[in-house]
Amino acid sequence: MRHALIDEAALAGWLARLVETGRVMAPVRRGRVSFDFEWIDDPRDVALEYIRTVLPPKKAIMPAREPLLEFSRRGGLGAREQSASPVIDERPYVLFGVHPCDLAAIGMLDWSMGRRDARPDPHYLARRSAATIVGIECMPDRYCFCTSVGTCNTRAGADLFLTPVDGRYVAEVLTRRGERLLRKAPKLLRSTAGEAAKAAAWGHEKAERTTLRLAAQAPELADLIDSRWESDIFDQTAERCYSCGTCTNVCPTCFCFDVFDELDITLAAGTRARRYDSCQFEDFAVVAGPHNFRGERADRVRHRWFRKFVYLLREYGQAFCVGCGRCSHACTAKISLVDVINAVVAEARGSVTG
Amino acid sequence: MSTSAQTSPGAVDPGLYSPQLATIVGARNLTPMDRVFVVELPGRRDLGHKPGQFVQVSIFGYEEAPISVCSPPQQRGSFDLTVRNMGGLTAQLHRMGPGDRIGIRGPFGKGFPMESMRGKDVLIVAGGIGLAPLRSVTDSIFMERQAYERLIVLYGTRTPADILFPETLEAWAADPRNEVLVTVDVPTEDWTGHVGVVTTLFPKAHIDPSRTVVVALVGPPVMYRFVLTELRSIGIPEEQMFFSLERRMRCGVGKCGHCQVNNHRVCTDGPVFSATELRHMHESI
Repeated sequence: MRHALIDEAALAGWLARLVETGRVMAPVRRGRVSFDFEWIDDPRDVALEYIRTVLPPKKAIMPAREPLLEFSRRGGLGAREQSASPVIDERPYVLFGVHPCDLAAIGMLDWSMGRRDARPDPHYLARRSAATIVGIECMPDRYCFCTSVGTCNTRAGADLFLTPVDGRYVAEVLTRRGERLLRKAPKLLRSTAGEAAKAAAWGHEKAERTTLRLAAQAPELADLIDSRWESDIFDQTAERCYSCGTCTNVCPTCFCFDVFDELDITLAAGTRARRYDSCQFEDFAVVAGPHNFRGERADRVRHRWFRKFVYLLREYGQAFCVGCGRCSHACTAKISLVDVINAVVAEARGSVTG
Repeated sequence: MSTSAQTSPGAVDPGLYSPQLATIVGARNLTPMDRVFVVELPGRRDLGHKPGQFVQVSIFGYEEAPISVCSPPQQRGSFDLTVRNMGGLTAQLHRMGPGDRIGIRGPFGKGFPMESMRGKDVLIVAGGIGLAPLRSVTDSIFMERQAYERLIVLYGTRTPADILFPETLEAWAADPRNEVLVTVDVPTEDWTGHVGVVTTLFPKAHIDPSRTVVVALVGPPVMYRFVLTELRSIGIPEEQMFFSLERRMRCGVGKCGHCQVNNHRVCTDGPVFSATELRHMHESI
């Protein structure tokens, strides 16, 4: 594996070149403490020292609103002249500055939208293959718990990975695509063994600084939570929850969507588009009748924990959560994902021994 | 338009969400609420479905709705859909007739296990519009009547006017190998048949639990619980009972999350589940 060293000036030149020659999505500062992944016009906007973005970099691969089809219904409803064609976006881009937890989340989306089924999602896979991904090392805050879900040192999914060392970055080349991207940097320095050691030490320090922990891990975690279907903790959590859907909207592993037809002003043509949906919304599981299979807020709250830590955990082999802390950080009601899990786990262990 | 019919499993189909433009070649009202359509795919290609599977019907501007196929696979060149007018897309569909084009994706899901019914008595339990999709099963049986033993149809609707196929039910009842019992919740003055929910028909039917396979689609979730309890009490083994669940399948291909019931996605793992499977699905009924 090749390593190189990039100094601040070379990084700035490299980013400028990437923005000039192609599309780049990277974190930018949106407020005093908030950051977001944005398409970059001015490379000086890129803010690589961030803790977490509001929305995860998932938005590059699976945007909040995404066209699936362009349709024409010229001649009216039912007319012979109707047509539809899929919208597949294969334009290449660079996704720059992705933290290890978010790399792990992209791996989970690759599975859920691609490998999990006999029918992979063409829109997701096109955007995914069009991406060159540059990962970057981070330091946790009190919402992070990547060490509990095994995502702390994820490199898979990245083509290049950057670790800050003494005001410069050690760049780790992970794929040929990453190698080609790195060649666009104006000046690369040779990375010494000392810098490689410092880069490795970063990972250890990060793990030490990650103090928030899940009380159980996969696969045991699924059995513990599954044993507490009737737990009052979900009811108590529901009493605080507003069903606003913020937790799922900011989640890097959530992939539920709804589909809407948007007509243009002529009413003769339009776009069938999907948008993020949330299992926390009251009407998510409504069917004709009408009947709502998760009409109680507590049912929806429980569904969120069960889906990530029981159902998908058992299918995928790991919790469907990367420990990024976005949901707890963004929650209107200050509900902590970790607190709920740990309370349920404690209850499960108590009821097993007692 | 979609190339899904030609794409092998696992390959990336750019038209995964693209409907084929199909033609309505026949349409008639069964009740003021329910209309049946005969639909042809381009080139009169067979849909290739199994009884119990569904398609996504599409009208541009009105998204899609999952509709069960109600004709048997043996019907070549076209297939039938029975649609209740519930507003939105279904209201638009009710305004359509022969010559109109609609979008079709599918078929999706797993159907009823026809193989396990061969050589057995088949008990059909239908509530309301549930009889329509179950006709894909009954009509399959009639295509090969000798492969199955007795056919028992228990059907409950709200009023006599809601009975979907009255003449067809009478024709079935005329065959001594069949037993057809119909009940209504709200009788009219001239109604001489049974009154009450569909479960009140169980004691009246001649059911041999050891040799009977049940398929059921009974409408509101509470009815599933009653039917399941009743079937258990007459001694039918759970692995011989199959229920088709109604959920809001949005994508049909296991992605969108809307039809998730516990660890199952109804669109790909169902919509047909055995009672054994339902036992582990708290949210199912």
